[in-house]
Amino acid sequence: MKKHPIYAMVFWLTLGIFVSAYSYFKLGLGKLHNPGPGLMPFFLGLLFSIISFYLLINSLFKRDRKEEILKEEQGQINFRNVILVLAALFFYGLFLETLGFLIVTLITMTILFWTMGLTRWRPLGVASCLTVLVTYFLFTYLGVRFPAGILRAIGMY
Amino acid sequence: MDIFSGLLSGFQNLFHLNVLFYCFVGVFVGTLIGVLPGIGPIGTMAILFPATFGLPPASAIIMLSGIYYGAMYGGSTTSILVNIPGEAASVVTCLDGYQMARQGRAGPALGISALGSFIGGTFSVIALMFLVFPLAEFAVKFGPAEYFSLICLSMTVLTYLARGSFIKAVLMALLGLILGSVGMDPLTGKPRFSFGSVSLLDGVGLVPVAMGLFGISEVLMNLEAQQSLSIFKTKIKNLFPNLQDWKRSIGPISRGSVLGFLVGILPGGGAVMSTFLSYTLEKRLSKNPSAFGQGAIEGVAGPETANNAGAGGAFVPLLALGIPSSPIMGILLGALMVHGVNAGPLLIKQHPEIFWGVIASMYVGNIMLVLLNLPLIGIWVKVLKIPKRILMPLILLCCLIGAYATNNNAVDVIIMIIFGIVGYFLRKHEYELAPIILALVLGPLLETNFRNALIIGDGRLTIFLEKPISAVLLSISALLFLSTGFSNYRKTKKRIAEEVGDVD
Repeated sequence: MKKHPIYAMVFWLTLGIFVSAYSYFKLGLGKLHNPGPGLMPFFLGLLFSIISFYLLINSLFKRDRKEEILKEEQGQINFRNVILVLAALFFYGLFLETLGFLIVTLITMTILFWTMGLTRWRPLGVASCLTVLVTYFLFTYLGVRFPAGILRAIGMY
Repeated sequence: MDIFSGLLSGFQNLFHLNVLFYCFVGVFVGTLIGVLPGIGPIGTMAILFPATFGLPPASAIIMLSGIYYGAMYGGSTTSILVNIPGEAASVVTCLDGYQMARQGRAGPALGISALGSFIGGTFSVIALMFLVFPLAEFAVKFGPAEYFSLICLSMTVLTYLARGSFIKAVLMALLGLILGSVGMDPLTGKPRFSFGSVSLLDGVGLVPVAMGLFGISEVLMNLEAQQSLSIFKTKIKNLFPNLQDWKRSIGPISRGSVLGFLVGILPGGGAVMSTFLSYTLEKRLSKNPSAFGQGAIEGVAGPETANNAGAGGAFVPLLALGIPSSPIMGILLGALMVHGVNAGPLLIKQHPEIFWGVIASMYVGNIMLVLLNLPLIGIWVKVLKIPKRILMPLILLCCLIGAYATNNNAVDVIIMIIFGIVGYFLRKHEYELAPIILALVLGPLLETNFRNALIIGDGRLTIFLEKPISAVLLSISALLFLSTGFSNYRKTKKRIAEEVGDVD
């Protein structure tokens, strides 16, 4: 039996219960003639839990051949690229304001181009630098203000 | 203002050089992303959404709309030449379009698809113009109960028409509604689900969620696929279809225009569904149905016309009622809100420059698109040759910058990445993503109208059934739910019977 659809359903079920409980205890349901901020989320959470529970039961008892095919397909997938790309994206989000747009974009683009198969150093460097410069000037022209980060701290921005 | 003077004022506004420029940018970018497999119009609109903040509202909506209907034109190029749909509404075009290309008729296939798109697009703008007025006048009578029921019906139809499991689509719609309730309560101002974060007080932003679900997750899926595009090597000649082609195509184009427009109005219908229906209809009506799938020009003309007509039809509920019928229209509604414009029946009276500007831009945009897609077809073929290892990082960077530029806040970037991961897993487990976006946009409207209706009705839940329009809309929703439930019950019963048979 496939486990990850079941984990997903358990996650949905937990989320639904949490939303209902939070709405009931923290937000308050109010009265029908004067509904409180928790009324709608409470019912949404409740419905969400019921449907998740139904799906959980269904996936526990269902013999699903399609899932087996999916598992076979997943066996051939190289997750390394997905993880590397996600790591680069998180790096961008976490360090954008500290390191600044220019540095963080250069590092991120180098990782992304490399992950996607641009492995020779010269084209990699040219593509990364060119992307940083073009996007910087284009988006600054469009009115986007990028964080300077450490370049401002060391007086280069 | 009557229709003709309104349209005239729309053209006057449009022919200011900068407005025309944004219309061109919209249709150009739309064609570009339509041609490129890997990112659809939703992701692109979300990416370019922050760039429209500094524009006047009419220019912003004109540009974003251009991306949508431009993508419908561009999508066919990839389907015909590469057999990979540039976006979802061009899936059907692969069937006969690619076969035509293999038979050396790529030119007529591309030509009929661009000209059919032009006819369908123009028809839908005319129909839209005449339909929005009576509908908007009718909708002025709507109170909170009617709006609540209408939104319920929108959501129900969207989930009903979902390609995968209905119950999973409902779950995703509920997830979107829950996400929509994050932030300050619309009536009391009390923070909900923000857990002390100032960034979450304004709610979960539409842009990072849409970019994450449709941009980042799409790239992640592409990373897995690692497919390379092999463009069909043929000389593209005779772009203008001959008389015989026109004779065969005129019927499908006419029917595709009407069908596409009507399906486009339906919530969840839109351009994608209209192509499938048009293809099925043409195959049924054809004297030689076996030719379909072997390079029948009717199989290209009908669906390609229908998807453009559907794109126009999707504007009807947004412009007349303020209710988006698809995630794309949800993004347009979000853009209107950002500019302080209330979409709905009063839009035409309060902001005629937006309404007529969009209508006029769709006429001009369709002409621009024919010019972009026929004489310049060679450029789009070259665009197809851009390697993925260059294209994908650039799409990701546009997403990152777009998410940051929304509020100049890196938290939005993190939210986008998280939703990218969520979208990636949801896609892998065959969940529909569209209901999340639509519900996220409609959630606050649904809740506000629900609570206002209860306050007006002094707490009586029956208020939703006392109002005739509301009662009809809710009844239709209930019927759709029941019919799906009944169909699921029959399927389960059949499956159990089969399993019992297997055991025996």
